[in-house]
Amino acid sequence: MKLRIGVLTVLGVAAVTAGSIGMMSGLVLKAHRDAQIAQLTQGADQLSETIVSSTFWDMLENHRPALHREMITIGKQKGIEKVRLFNRTGKIMFSSSEGEIGHSLDKKYEACIACHAADQPITRPPTKARARIYRAADGHRVLGMIRPIHNETRCWNSGCHAHSREENVLGVLDVNLSLAETDARIAADQRRMILLAVLIMATISTVLLWFGERLVLRPVRELIAGTRRVAAGDLHTMLPAASSTELGDLARAFNEMTSKLSDAQRQLTQADKLASVGRLAAGVAHEINNPLTGVLTYASFLQKRLADRPEVKEDLEVIVRETKRCRDIVRGLLDFSRQSPPQHKPTDLNEIVRRAVAVVMNQLMLRRVALDFHLADGLEAVPADGNQIQQVVVNLVMNAADAIGEGGGTIAVRTAAVELPARGNSIIRLARCPHGCDVLDPTVRIGAHPAIKVIRRTGDRDDVVHMDPVYGRANHHASGSLERDKLATYACPRCRAKLDGPARCGDCGAPTFAVVSPELGRIEWCTRKGCHWTRCETLDASGPLRMVELEVRDSGKGIAPEDLDHLFEPFFTTKGNRGLGLGLAVTYGIVERHGGTIVVSSELGNGATFLVRLPLLRAGQNAAIVTESVRTGGVS
Amino acid sequence: MSRPWDVLVVDDEAVVRGGVKLVLEPEGLTVAQAATVAEALASDALNECRLLLCDLMLQGESGLEVVSEARRRRPALPIVLMTGYATDDNAALGAQSGATDFLAKPFDDVELLDQVRRVLGDAHADEKEGSS
Repeated sequence: MKLRIGVLTVLGVAAVTAGSIGMMSGLVLKAHRDAQIAQLTQGADQLSETIVSSTFWDMLENHRPALHREMITIGKQKGIEKVRLFNRTGKIMFSSSEGEIGHSLDKKYEACIACHAADQPITRPPTKARARIYRAADGHRVLGMIRPIHNETRCWNSGCHAHSREENVLGVLDVNLSLAETDARIAADQRRMILLAVLIMATISTVLLWFGERLVLRPVRELIAGTRRVAAGDLHTMLPAASSTELGDLARAFNEMTSKLSDAQRQLTQADKLASVGRLAAGVAHEINNPLTGVLTYASFLQKRLADRPEVKEDLEVIVRETKRCRDIVRGLLDFSRQSPPQHKPTDLNEIVRRAVAVVMNQLMLRRVALDFHLADGLEAVPADGNQIQQVVVNLVMNAADAIGEGGGTIAVRTAAVELPARGNSIIRLARCPHGCDVLDPTVRIGAHPAIKVIRRTGDRDDVVHMDPVYGRANHHASGSLERDKLATYACPRCRAKLDGPARCGDCGAPTFAVVSPELGRIEWCTRKGCHWTRCETLDASGPLRMVELEVRDSGKGIAPEDLDHLFEPFFTTKGNRGLGLGLAVTYGIVERHGGTIVVSSELGNGATFLVRLPLLRAGQNAAIVTESVRTGGVS
Repeated sequence: MSRPWDVLVVDDEAVVRGGVKLVLEPEGLTVAQAATVAEALASDALNECRLLLCDLMLQGESGLEVVSEARRRRPALPIVLMTGYATDDNAALGAQSGATDFLAKPFDDVELLDQVRRVLGDAHADEKEGSS
């Protein structure tokens, strides 16, 4: 059996406590016993002296019956076993126990041996030597105290002449006191002492067990379970880390470790994917670019040679133009793998859409897909990389065509200039805790954009909550459920710092929590479950967002709800072997690098709508971008 | 052989060599071809051409071998490295091994002619400098 720390601790402490308390009680009890006996011995000595002095005259005047009477009277007193008097030969002359009068005692008798151990008897033994303890016939203990009666002038001068002058000790008084009552008291004290010791041990063990369970065992069990979960591959494991002890530090360190591990893993996976795209792109680039070189050089040569033949000139132009587009696609793939920043130029979105559609028109016709155009008049030029945006349009249209499949259908492409409230439309692209940790989680997207990850604490339970990165929309995801109207506190998933906001909820007055964006300042949410109050002073003050939007709607089979949040991840595809899963990832990357948003909405069986919005430059936005780059520049 | 080769094009793909030849010959340039490193190094054209156009990745071989050897034999020869995978790393590699310039594939006639005229123009200027 595996011994647990708790059991071992309690056993160890119990043993130490039992040992020390046992030793202490033993010492105390012995001292107590010794003190009792010493006191009794002293009492017995005094009593024997009292008897000797009170019977002195009876002895001197040889009033034996009176002497005997006195002894019997004294012997009847409580606690006194018997009182007797030996003469110097050991014969019992008087005794309160009358049966033994006349008996002689040997020198080896326990009452005599103290003085008669040596050849020459001791005549004035000390008090301690005169006392003895023995067991009576019924088993109880008896304290015996002898007192030699010494010869003195009056004794040998007395008329009875019973004693000569040479005699040293005339007789011995032996007082016997019962120890039964004292022993019973000592035994009771001993029992109380043991009971107390057991109680103390039990109390200490219980308290230790409780503290051990709370402070050590439970955190250790959680740590073990957490370690197993991590070993099983769940790198999002978080331990409750409220304790301020070293184990709390350990749990916090553990959480930091898993958080860093999962970050590292995510970055590795991402790097891995990008490296694969890079390798793929390099391979494709090398393989495709050679034949493309052939096509381009031959076609352009032909174009020049047949310049006087207008009937082929146009066809050759198409060949050259389309080959160059192939070249751009390959370069685009290389660019994606290298995440190249867009070259912003004022761009007419409608023109881009027309160019893109011209590129895919033949394929759409082959698939019996009809195109429905609603291009807004007088669309303001948007700062964008025309080639990249063209790729977005091509990707979205081809994606729509794939969704429509064999049966044919319609794709509606619409452009418009829109003014949108910041609430519900602005994306929070950077979010940090008060200590500066990046709390955006690129592994979890809500819509197309990385969510803001926070830890929600209720009691001692921690849940991971992904906050909607669209300001003012409340499509949050939580790992655990919480009852409506319950309050919670929120913390940074990396450093565990509290995210408490400075103000109260504008709707319900509950406390708030907040993250900080270098671009947008503080963004606050209400901590009450079900209350969707949120505030960002920068966005609230910024006025409407001016954007151009491009909508691509198809009449295809629609997208399953569980796929919606994964659509924009690299290598995610619902097309089986026919898709590489890069199209929408490339699209997302381009839109993201343009500071735009992309939203997809769909119902299974009812088609899908992709809505791309690109920002028209705005004074405030410009300032935000400049500020951010200055900040970055200052740090590096 | 009536006149020396002007250009040697080294590429494992016949269509690339053919394209280059097709574009450059009408401009009055003679074009020699090689498909492998061995063929290029054995060619007389390597010793007499005025311009070497060499692919970076030949079938299982590196065009840089040809570039280094050409540079060793003829320090002043203009060498243009062609590649279908134009990255900064590859450009740096090319420059290290002695290439004069870089031409990203796929290219059209205009891009090729511009590049050829530029390096040959440079070479003429060098020759003039050297003779004066």
